[in-house]
Amino acid sequence: MSVPRTKAPEPELRRSVTPWGSFSWGYSDVGADIFVGLGLVLAWAAGATNVAFLFAGIVYVCIGLAYTELASTYPVAGGGQYFVMRGLGDLFGFIAGWAVLLDFTIDVTLFAWSSVDYTSQLVPALVNSAHPWLHFLVVLTLVLGLCLLNVLGVRESTAFNGFVSALDVISETLILCLGFLFAFRPGLLIHAMHFSWPTPYQLMLGTSLAIVSFVGLESISQAAQETQRPASIIPRTSVALILTILIFALAYSNLALGLHPWHPITDAHGHPMQFWQIFPHNADNQGKAVALLAEQVPYYGAFAALYVPILGAVLLLISSNSGVFGSSRIAYAMSSANLLPSIFQRVHARFRTPVISIVFFSSIAVIELIFAALPALVPAASHLYSQFFHGENGLEFLADLYAFGAATSYSFVFLGLIALRLHDPLSPRKFKIPLNIPMRIRGERVDFPVIAVLGFIGIFSILLFTLRTHALGRIFGPTWLVLGVVLYLLYRNHRRLPILRSRRRDWRTEQIDILRRSGELELMDEYLANLKASDARRAGQT
Amino acid sequence: MALGNDVHVTLAGAIVALIIAAMVGATLWWMLHPPSSYVQRIAKRAESELERMVGSLIVVFSPEIDSSHMLALAVKLARGERSELLAIYIIEVPYTLPPDAEMPSEERAALDALGAAETIANNNNVTIRTETVKTRSTKQAVLDVAKRVKADLIILGSFREGKYSGAPLGRTIEEIAADAKCDVLIGVEGKHGTLLIDETLQSASPQTS
Repeated sequence: MSVPRTKAPEPELRRSVTPWGSFSWGYSDVGADIFVGLGLVLAWAAGATNVAFLFAGIVYVCIGLAYTELASTYPVAGGGQYFVMRGLGDLFGFIAGWAVLLDFTIDVTLFAWSSVDYTSQLVPALVNSAHPWLHFLVVLTLVLGLCLLNVLGVRESTAFNGFVSALDVISETLILCLGFLFAFRPGLLIHAMHFSWPTPYQLMLGTSLAIVSFVGLESISQAAQETQRPASIIPRTSVALILTILIFALAYSNLALGLHPWHPITDAHGHPMQFWQIFPHNADNQGKAVALLAEQVPYYGAFAALYVPILGAVLLLISSNSGVFGSSRIAYAMSSANLLPSIFQRVHARFRTPVISIVFFSSIAVIELIFAALPALVPAASHLYSQFFHGENGLEFLADLYAFGAATSYSFVFLGLIALRLHDPLSPRKFKIPLNIPMRIRGERVDFPVIAVLGFIGIFSILLFTLRTHALGRIFGPTWLVLGVVLYLLYRNHRRLPILRSRRRDWRTEQIDILRRSGELELMDEYLANLKASDARRAGQT
Repeated sequence: MALGNDVHVTLAGAIVALIIAAMVGATLWWMLHPPSSYVQRIAKRAESELERMVGSLIVVFSPEIDSSHMLALAVKLARGERSELLAIYIIEVPYTLPPDAEMPSEERAALDALGAAETIANNNNVTIRTETVKTRSTKQAVLDVAKRVKADLIILGSFREGKYSGAPLGRTIEEIAADAKCDVLIGVEGKHGTLLIDETLQSASPQTS
């Protein structure tokens, strides 16, 4: 008889992501947003661009704090979808995850599109309005190329992400510092705010687009399972990311309104214009706002004009790529949780990548691209869009859906946070959002999060702004959700799983396992002690 | 309002520029310096111990002590930690002979051992000093040299094959380990490891089937 062998442990993801690595994963996603969002918000919110960014920024801080608390308490891959599923149950977890999937597919197209827009600053042949077919084909090639790279398992490394992020942080800080130092006129800012204040409708639209500049915190949570000491590191990297992005967004919006251009800008009649006035009704400029602003910074602008379009294009392409692998990762996590069919878990035998997920969601990205590019490609379609969708351009259509998906998933994340505070008060929270109301529920001390309620009101109002002001977003966004829910119900029925209720899970054992695997042994001890004390209290009561 | 190619610095602009630079810098600095965990503190302590442990290394050879496999390890250690490395060959002179008696075969063996040590060090770009010591007591000679060069770590191989004399690691090695004032690292080659197991105990243990 042979000696019994011990079972080899299941292979786990190696925890190799350092604080800078974690920050750069988030930054390469969120940091790229301002490259897209700035021009769109300037186009609609005009003199109130800074106010739109401030409102969206406050909501974003609340979102960031919520993600920080949740990702450090539950350091698992899955992000928002996992938190909502754990707090509100399977159905809402699915809706939140499905909304994030919409965002990731839009992310692929929107950022590839914008990457080409930035490149067009150096290669005029790629300007969308002049050569729409070439622009479309290049974006399509990029999307298909990223899909192929992800199928083959080729990914940009954390080191590359870290390098590009560092370069971009330095570059943006330089642009802003030198811009404020040499080209900022407080008088121009006040003038723009006073004489170019938008209508309430435009302000709502601008604010809903401003949230586009703050989407992507999900990436830090996505990498939680690979981050060293996630409960300690993620709060820091998240807060740092929130602050950095907020500083950049507020600074860019104020600088753009108060910028005294280095090279004079005039309209068709030769009248001088303020910098921000080049964005309304000009989709080409909207797509490359940061490059145009950098060019107008005295002295440094000559150098910035050469590299900012390239840096922007690379950062946007990384962000686009994060949409491809992010969607496949979320689909994989949702499939593991029985929220999506197991086909999305299927891994290619040779490349060891979730091919079906990648190809499926990349195909959706391509459909979105075709829909966004159609008015520019086919004049007849342009007429149709003008008639039914207020003539939104391709970039605006993508941004609409992006804002819708983000606002929907973030709304659920806030609700999930509140539910988890009430249902799971025993899990140690290394980071807890401040401003709480202490109370007792079923004998346990619970901190009710006031910020989460305020954040929910803020993001829900942005969701309403989106539905109110975006003609395309209010049709396609809810359609996506309804379609998803129908698929979910059919799938659960087919698998004979609870349809509207959740599957039974042992969250206690899972939480202990999560903390053990993440190397947060002190938190695991604290959790076990909390459970013991709670059980003893309950036994004493009975 | 004339817009043109002129530049002038405003106080508000300069203050905002300063605030942006300070805030971005401070945020990133704070992020990159998280407090260490209990496990990390243990690891850091162990690492700093290593720095203290390997400042000066002695690798000991003698007719009884074969340290050639440990020398390669010592060289790698010295290379990584930039330690001072000394290889000594101890020749024990019996009391029947005068202290400076010539012992050609042992001296020849010393040349071979120390020559090999220099070759390994040269191959790894590490500076090594070598020394042959004649003594009445190997243990005392090793301890004296360690004291003289202020060694942090004495590295010893195991006994030579065929010289097993009852003490699992060889009596001299055990005495050095017991009396040294610094850390001692003893390496037993895998093929010799089974000699350390008490055979009577092994035969008494139940068979696994």
